[in-house]
Amino acid sequence: MSKKRFLPLSRRTFLRGSGAALALPWLEAMTPALAKAESVQGPRRLGVLFMPNGVREDAWTPSGEGDDFELSKTLRPLDGLKDRLLIPTNLWNQASDYGDGHYVKTSGFLTCQTIQKSLGFDLNSNGVSMDQLAAKRLANRTPLPSLELATSPVGIGVDTNVGYTRVYGSHIAWSSPTRPLAREINPRLVFERLFRVANPNAESAQHDRLLLGRVLGDARQLKRRVGRDDQSRIDDYLESVRALERQVESASQPAGKTWKPAVDMDPATKPAGIPGTHAEHVRLMLDMIALAFQTDSTRICTFMFGNAVSNTNFSFLDGVNSGHHSVSHHENKAEKLAEYQKIAQWHVAQYAYLLHKLKAMPEGESNVLDNSMILFGSGLRDGNKHSPRNLPLVVAGSAGGRPKTGQHLVFEEKTPLSNLYCAMLQALGTPVERFADSTGLLPGALV
Amino acid sequence: MARYGAAKCELGESSTEGRGFPGVYVRIACGLLVVGQVLGTSFEAVAADDGAGVSPSHGPEFIQRYCVGCHEAPKPKAKLDLAPYAASKARIIEDALKWDEHLVRVRDGEMPPDDDDVLQPSPEERQAFVSWVEKTLKEAAAADGITPGPPLIRRLNRSEYSASVRHLLDVHFDAGAALPDDGAGGEGFDNAAETLFISPIHAEKYLDAARMAVDYAFADTRSNRRFLIAQPGENRSPREAAAIILRSFLTRAFRRPATADEREEYLALFDRAYASEASFASAMKLVLTSVLVSPKFLFIVEADNPSETPMLLPDHELATRLSYFLWGSAPDDELLAAAEARLLHEPDVLHAQVLRMLGKKHARQVRNFAQNFVEQWLGTRALGREFKPDASIEGYDSELEGGMKYEPVFFLHEILTENRSLLDLVEADYTYANRRLARHYGIRGQGRFREQPRRVEIQDQSRRGGLLGMAAVLAVSSHPQRTSPVLRGKWILDTLLGEPPPPPPPNVPELEEVADDASPQSLRQRLEKHREDPTCASCHDRMDPLGFSLENYDVLGRWREKEDGGQPIDARATLPDGTEFSGPAELKALLLARKDQVARNFAKKMLGYALSRGLSYEDYVTVDRLVEALKKDDYRSQGLILGIVNSVPFRYKAGTDLKIGVPLDTAH
Repeated sequence: MSKKRFLPLSRRTFLRGSGAALALPWLEAMTPALAKAESVQGPRRLGVLFMPNGVREDAWTPSGEGDDFELSKTLRPLDGLKDRLLIPTNLWNQASDYGDGHYVKTSGFLTCQTIQKSLGFDLNSNGVSMDQLAAKRLANRTPLPSLELATSPVGIGVDTNVGYTRVYGSHIAWSSPTRPLAREINPRLVFERLFRVANPNAESAQHDRLLLGRVLGDARQLKRRVGRDDQSRIDDYLESVRALERQVESASQPAGKTWKPAVDMDPATKPAGIPGTHAEHVRLMLDMIALAFQTDSTRICTFMFGNAVSNTNFSFLDGVNSGHHSVSHHENKAEKLAEYQKIAQWHVAQYAYLLHKLKAMPEGESNVLDNSMILFGSGLRDGNKHSPRNLPLVVAGSAGGRPKTGQHLVFEEKTPLSNLYCAMLQALGTPVERFADSTGLLPGALV
Repeated sequence: MARYGAAKCELGESSTEGRGFPGVYVRIACGLLVVGQVLGTSFEAVAADDGAGVSPSHGPEFIQRYCVGCHEAPKPKAKLDLAPYAASKARIIEDALKWDEHLVRVRDGEMPPDDDDVLQPSPEERQAFVSWVEKTLKEAAAADGITPGPPLIRRLNRSEYSASVRHLLDVHFDAGAALPDDGAGGEGFDNAAETLFISPIHAEKYLDAARMAVDYAFADTRSNRRFLIAQPGENRSPREAAAIILRSFLTRAFRRPATADEREEYLALFDRAYASEASFASAMKLVLTSVLVSPKFLFIVEADNPSETPMLLPDHELATRLSYFLWGSAPDDELLAAAEARLLHEPDVLHAQVLRMLGKKHARQVRNFAQNFVEQWLGTRALGREFKPDASIEGYDSELEGGMKYEPVFFLHEILTENRSLLDLVEADYTYANRRLARHYGIRGQGRFREQPRRVEIQDQSRRGGLLGMAAVLAVSSHPQRTSPVLRGKWILDTLLGEPPPPPPPNVPELEEVADDASPQSLRQRLEKHREDPTCASCHDRMDPLGFSLENYDVLGRWREKEDGGQPIDARATLPDGTEFSGPAELKALLLARKDQVARNFAKKMLGYALSRGLSYEDYVTVDRLVEALKKDDYRSQGLILGIVNSVPFRYKAGTDLKIGVPLDTAH
């Protein structure tokens, strides 16, 4: 409330500009060699599953180190997949060690930057999320640059208690510091979208081109009518329309694709809508991730099990009677801790479900899981402390070979989370020199 | 600090010089401190009467003596460093809205805290300080005139999109159903320009939605008549028919007359579509779909104001603000006609349009407004979404959920359309219930009720009447399994009074409200124990008593005399100042004793909604004026609506110099 809302032009321009500067200045040209490799091995992909509210600390970390380790109770659902896992211990997200207990930890989870405290105006994550860095560079290879999924709508209103808009708690993917990406929560709509991009209609493509041409023309006219610092809003729309145009174009030139998926989508498998229970809802969304990867509709996908501070009622689990966030404030009471642990373990079991599903999808000489990297994690460790130290994280899959799986790696305390992201981006073939506060590649993570 | 010192010096002189001040504070607020330009508004009038014999430096002195002892760097209590304010009046003005909040605590006697080792001001000193700060802030803002916001640029949110398509094509079809949902910003509404982002997915979704809506409308002969106003025939070529349709459709879609160039561009699109397939219907569909995906339809765009000073909104821009405020939808033909005649800024015309728009003929649109506003303000949109009662809570079903959800919507709708007092929000002798909710409330004569809510007079106002007796409000301020005096108390402070308590200190576990035996006594005892810790007490002393007085309502807002365990409910409570009270009726009386604060908070929310942005310091004066007007008019709702619509921030847009205001005397 106290903030001056109408900033002078220079500052607003600067904010917008910083976003643009962070956007990648290059679009990697597809080298023939790379295209060839992809056409044989299959594409590399990145998935991120975000869990709100942290975990029970003493039931998370595996015992043992290196390739000789035992999964903890919470991680036990991953039992059959141990050789596909890379579990890093002692990573932290320093940039989110400020502000409130949740919003900073959620919006900053994949950016490793501190968000601007804001009820809306001046909303700024101060970074681009790591999935979007990859998406920008892989954008020309799939109809959808990335897919953002969730189970709950964006939180209602602003949190006047801590002074943040709930927009922050509802987004982990940021394509620019001022642009969080909208998420889809209805599995039926996700399916329809994937189906459309997988089954382009050449006839409608011609009409779409005509129509989009007019829309782009209108956008350019409009841009001239508005003040300079508001042009970026129209630019955002222009970009959105151009992305659609690219979809239409790539649909009419399927020969340009680097990877020809071996599967077709079966319309009969379309979900009916948002199911009645949270468990079914999550399963369907995970099915959509698998489908999107298998059909090569996109190579980047982020999914939020819940928004920050989610109080989803987990009483459908045996021995749990409360909402997620309430339980996460366990006060070290035995019964609360037991509930808290069960909820985290349920999330891990969903993760395991997805991994098994991807593993069962053959691709080239391998399978979709081995061509992907799926990160599971939360933006804070213990819900009572709200600390982003020693974050609960698991990476699964080897994205075509680089990640060295089958290990539990224990690092020095306060090793930057961003070092893991550097390693993951490297493994995806979209390397960066630095990411946020990174100090290098996470040692031992890559082959 | 030095630059603030300089500013303070100027301030100190301003009562004699009178002109340096207004420009200075705004520049500080912008962080720009450019010395030089001065606005023409006089300061003498406000500075001459200092009131209550308090010297101008009294505020900083009070802060130094009573506040800084605890609130000083490097480790200020509550992370609130007040030392800079003790050194500079300019800093107080700069952080006016923060002071607005601090002031409430000083006024209510919460600060300085009632500890033995804390120096206490006398009641007179306290009052003098409060008056001084209030006066200082108002003077500072008024001296500068009222600064409107910059031109509005935002896309329609999902609900506005659906309503606008429905209006344009006259179809009963929710075109926005598949769009991503919107987050909220500013005052907590999803129409806030600042949080209406565009993602790559949007264009895709808009195209899908437009195509479906247009197909649907073409198949509906009733809807056809609204927009397919010409057909090709013997004396009319397809192109001529398209031109007639487009002339009307573009104007309604763009909310302003389309230019000749624009009409030509869309006709050219028609030509190309018709050339590829000689079907009037399919070419027309393509063109209309294109209009619905055009940013000229999807965005509310106010043209840049290249002059330095604020300007009145052009009539069509004002019409658009009006219709998205009062209807959540596009302007109708009558409003567009008034804009075309350039009459909308005429006070009589504007007044008449507002009353027309709130009238019976537009009940559906106004209900749309009531719903958008009230569900987000109260948080009752969470019902069935973020808030689902636990399976252990009996009696919840979809008809009850519907009744709960719509009760505050229909209630506010009546307040708005019947010009009732805003204090009805606290205490009223009527509400709205459907069959299921009437049973839930134990209302007699249930045979009258159906699935749709209907108005009902309340016999026993000790239990129902006003927002605090509404099941939806009582539910979303509960846990899924049980009631929470803390959450309900916080809800009242935050939502009704606009005084959100600060978050709990870091690393302090959230209060555990469930006792091992879950009995109400032990919950009360636990809360009391919790409050023994002064860190917790400063907020819980305010929140908990309010919530305790509502304990007769269960999670779903049903009246109960006993807890589940059989213990009788104890709804007694004591406020920090020692006031004792019990139950909802006495709580409502306490709130009515602070009616100006309730009205002020409502006015703030409504202004933020109307402007679709977060409020700023500049809007402080407007809120004040709205409250003053409300007080003089029995707090009638339409007075507030008219006040907002006539206000500077609603009718003007800023120029290139965002610091220049509209002098008060020209602003009605």
